[in-house]
Amino acid sequence: MEHLKFDNGVLERVASLLEYDAAVPLTLTTGFFLFAFLLFGVGYVALRRRVNIRNIYVVLFSLYFYYKLSGIYVLLLVAVALSDYLIGRRVARRRERGHGTRGWVALSVTINIAILAYFKATDFFVGVVNDLYGSGTLDWESVVVPAGVSFFVFQSIAYVVDISRGVISPLSRFTDYLFLLSFFPKMFLGPLVRAKDFIPQIEARDVVVTREDFGRGVTLIAGGLVKYAIIAKALGLLFVAPAFDGELGDGGLVALMAIYGFTLQIYCDFSGYSDIAVGVALIMGFRLPDNFDAPYKSATITEFWRRWHISLSSWLRDYLYISLGGNRKGRLRTYLNLILTMFLGGLWHGVGMTFIAWGMLHGVALALHKMWLEVVPGAKRFGAEMKPVWRAVATTFTFNLVAFGWLLFTANDMAQVGDIVGRIVENFSFAEVDTLVAGSGVAMTLMAVGYAMHALPKSFDLGVQRMVTRLGFVGQWLLVVVVVWMVMQCDMMLAADSGGAAGLPMYAAF
Amino acid sequence: MKDKNYTPRMLWLTVAVVVGTIGLGFIPPFELQGMSFARVDMLSSLRAETGGDDLPVEYEADIERLEMELAAMEMEPTVEVVDTLPEPVPVRYEWIVQEEPMVKRRVPLSTEVAPADDMRVVPIEDFDTLTVTRYERFIEKLANMEDVRIAFMGDSFVEGDILTSDLRHELQSLLGGRGVGFVACDIPFATVRKSVKRTSSGWTAYSVMKPKGTPEALRDKYFISGYIAEGGSGATTRWASTDTFATLDSCSRGRVLLYSRDTSRVLVEINDTLSREFEIAGDDHVREIYVEAPIDALRVKVLEGSVVCYGASLEGGRGITVDNFSVRCNNGHAIFGTGATVNRQIDEMLGYDLVVLQYGLNIMQPGQRVFARYRDQLRDMIAYAERCFPDAAIVVLGVSDRWVKNEESGAYEPIGSVDALTSYQRAAADSTHVAFWNTSEAMAIYGGMPRFVANGWAAKDYTHINFAGGRRVAEALARALRSSLAEELSEREAEAQRVAEEAERRALEHQMLIDRNLSATTILLDTLAEDDASMVKGDE
Repeated sequence: MEHLKFDNGVLERVASLLEYDAAVPLTLTTGFFLFAFLLFGVGYVALRRRVNIRNIYVVLFSLYFYYKLSGIYVLLLVAVALSDYLIGRRVARRRERGHGTRGWVALSVTINIAILAYFKATDFFVGVVNDLYGSGTLDWESVVVPAGVSFFVFQSIAYVVDISRGVISPLSRFTDYLFLLSFFPKMFLGPLVRAKDFIPQIEARDVVVTREDFGRGVTLIAGGLVKYAIIAKALGLLFVAPAFDGELGDGGLVALMAIYGFTLQIYCDFSGYSDIAVGVALIMGFRLPDNFDAPYKSATITEFWRRWHISLSSWLRDYLYISLGGNRKGRLRTYLNLILTMFLGGLWHGVGMTFIAWGMLHGVALALHKMWLEVVPGAKRFGAEMKPVWRAVATTFTFNLVAFGWLLFTANDMAQVGDIVGRIVENFSFAEVDTLVAGSGVAMTLMAVGYAMHALPKSFDLGVQRMVTRLGFVGQWLLVVVVVWMVMQCDMMLAADSGGAAGLPMYAAF
Repeated sequence: MKDKNYTPRMLWLTVAVVVGTIGLGFIPPFELQGMSFARVDMLSSLRAETGGDDLPVEYEADIERLEMELAAMEMEPTVEVVDTLPEPVPVRYEWIVQEEPMVKRRVPLSTEVAPADDMRVVPIEDFDTLTVTRYERFIEKLANMEDVRIAFMGDSFVEGDILTSDLRHELQSLLGGRGVGFVACDIPFATVRKSVKRTSSGWTAYSVMKPKGTPEALRDKYFISGYIAEGGSGATTRWASTDTFATLDSCSRGRVLLYSRDTSRVLVEINDTLSREFEIAGDDHVREIYVEAPIDALRVKVLEGSVVCYGASLEGGRGITVDNFSVRCNNGHAIFGTGATVNRQIDEMLGYDLVVLQYGLNIMQPGQRVFARYRDQLRDMIAYAERCFPDAAIVVLGVSDRWVKNEESGAYEPIGSVDALTSYQRAAADSTHVAFWNTSEAMAIYGGMPRFVANGWAAKDYTHINFAGGRRVAEALARALRSSLAEELSEREAEAQRVAEEAERRALEHQMLIDRNLSATTILLDTLAEDDASMVKGDE
């Protein structure tokens, strides 16, 4: 019972926990969230049939969630919501009357992109100026990028563009729009939601969670925790980071395994967190779009972008690629638009040569694949259309291309890329297998488990979901508690020293 | 039933999970397949931080600031010559009462310095990549019988001169040198140190561990000793040697390290009899009052003005000086709070040849296996130390053995993170190309922490060794240094032997040549003589 006893400072500590602390941002995987979600659940379940109060209740909790995540920037979120809510209404009115809407759409895009540019590019720009004209020319302290700013800005642009395209009609209530932008499970890392799919769910009179929904939600949360908080975290800390830093020797096999390790790590980190978000929303009765679909099973690069970060790549397609002209302006423009889209996509991750190289690699690969489809008769877009042998060859090729892309993505600079590639080309030996097994056995096991899980067919995932659904309440409870215990053990082994529970998903940086 | 809405289940499941995870706290720590599982505590953030001993240190590595500070310092002497060049402030005030006797020391034989017992040597691992590594240069200085000074930086593990007093004694007995080395002027809390008697009054003392409690003007004036004392007229400290070790009493050299922003007057007194006044010119540069005399006690007293004093060093007789710089609860970060300029200035006076970094005892959590962040910080600490003490070799000490109490059984068991932290510390040493010594391996030779406790060599907390335990660890460390030195000496002896043999061989060859020539000459002479004889005969 020791651990249930407290001294008398406990109330003050509860109070201080409720305040924003930049060092401990709130994410879905923290213990704080579990307790907050419990309190939230009481009101949510009680109010679930009173749509207006329910929505305001969710909005208030979401805003608090965002405040715990990003502090004062919660005001920025509200300001973006207000601005696009008003612009959206104005755009709809002009559309009804047959007036042009371009000016208002441009205003919304300008405001949103300006916010994004301010947070993402100012540091870079100030750095360049100071390099050119001497340090101190521009006196500027680095800004803290508000968490998830890209996500709500993108969704807000899409909302206004959709209204101007006539896809949706604007929301009449400001709080409903704020709900759309701020809904807490997806606040941090997406998936990005489309107003068209989400508005009906906000306006639904009663939230409905079926038995299957609940089972799937629990499966996603438990599986997401394993991927995000165990596989990705442990693999990164135990193997990938030290291997890239050259602490595990300069062998080629270690370097290659580090690339494959990072490839799995970034997938588990990002998709794991996404799964948790989708799962949490689902047990609340909200269906968010799937964000990942076993991306490394892709046989072509085109297929990869249909399976990786789906909500963002379809956003890029619908609002950037198509706005640039898509494939409607001739073949050359199509290729150029693909490359430009991916170049901008790369740049969005960070201003630097490695991200540009990553974007260009994917852009050029997509363009080449499009060209291949047109030139080579019988060429296929997706693996499912291919013969098994071809599919295996194509999948292997695509996987390695993507993995090399991740090397560009994660490297500190191009010199490190050269160093790693050099190690693989010049210093490769299977004799390293022994040292890998002896020195990094745990990490290698995690990698094997991770890739094996990824390789299982979709029917297996569905089978697991059905099984969890059939487990019933007690079984589901045990499952979650056991996973939480494993996560906490893993955290303690990896230690508070390296971030531990307070660590953020990798994608939080973007 | 088919259309049942499961929304409320969200709440019930959350309630159950919260209860369940709090319930997980009832699972005691256990081991399975060599992996140790700790007790999980969902409510830890509601509890007061345990181990109030571990004060948070607000320092972060700021190598950039350090570089700037050092660059500025190196530029200082190139002051433009103006009409009224300010009088340069003397850095050293000398008072020679009786010149230090020149001790003629014999270079010991490799067999004399080689470890006296046959216990296993835990070697110092040298990761330096220079042709002659900095550690080898240090060993060469020992072999040359040069004056050598060691800075031993550590935490509560070596507080009170534990370990260092025995290390000092062993090295001084072997290679010469006297005295306890550096001792702080005043410390903001009570300490016990058997190897020196320090009494002080009238000072306000500050600790590098509490930068917020330190006046702004003093914050960048810390030396690696970690403590600073500021005092006006009347403030005084007396350092007296003890005879706990044969080499500690009657030193022949004393130095007081201090500075005074404005001119001040200080009285220095030797052995409570002889005294002399010094006028300290006002400047930020650290100054030393250097005394040569047979010293048993040294006293400093501020007569006028305000003085910031670091401490005094009792030493002499030519040979080894070992300074103990222990700062309680310091994980090493505190070095970032010390002034690079001050460290450099003092290094220029005292000349450090070896810096030992002994840290990490406080950062271990039971079962913790990853110390990546600490390793990165340790690299920065090493870089900082290298820049402050550019001529010194650096040895990182691995963390010492530590056991913790199992709450269930009440028995003690290994903390489970010693080996992991040790390997991260070694990795930091490796990547910064400095030397490393595995403390826990050395303790394992004596049976590890349980043996230390059983023998009365360590406290019952299974964490802190006492003087008896320190003696064992010092022995082991000295054994490593001695075997490096013996190796160097035996190489030299082998080289000398080879040179001698070569010379002998040459001499022999020469002799043979002479002999051969001689015999040839004899034969020739004999022949000639015979010829002469026959000729004579023929003549007949």
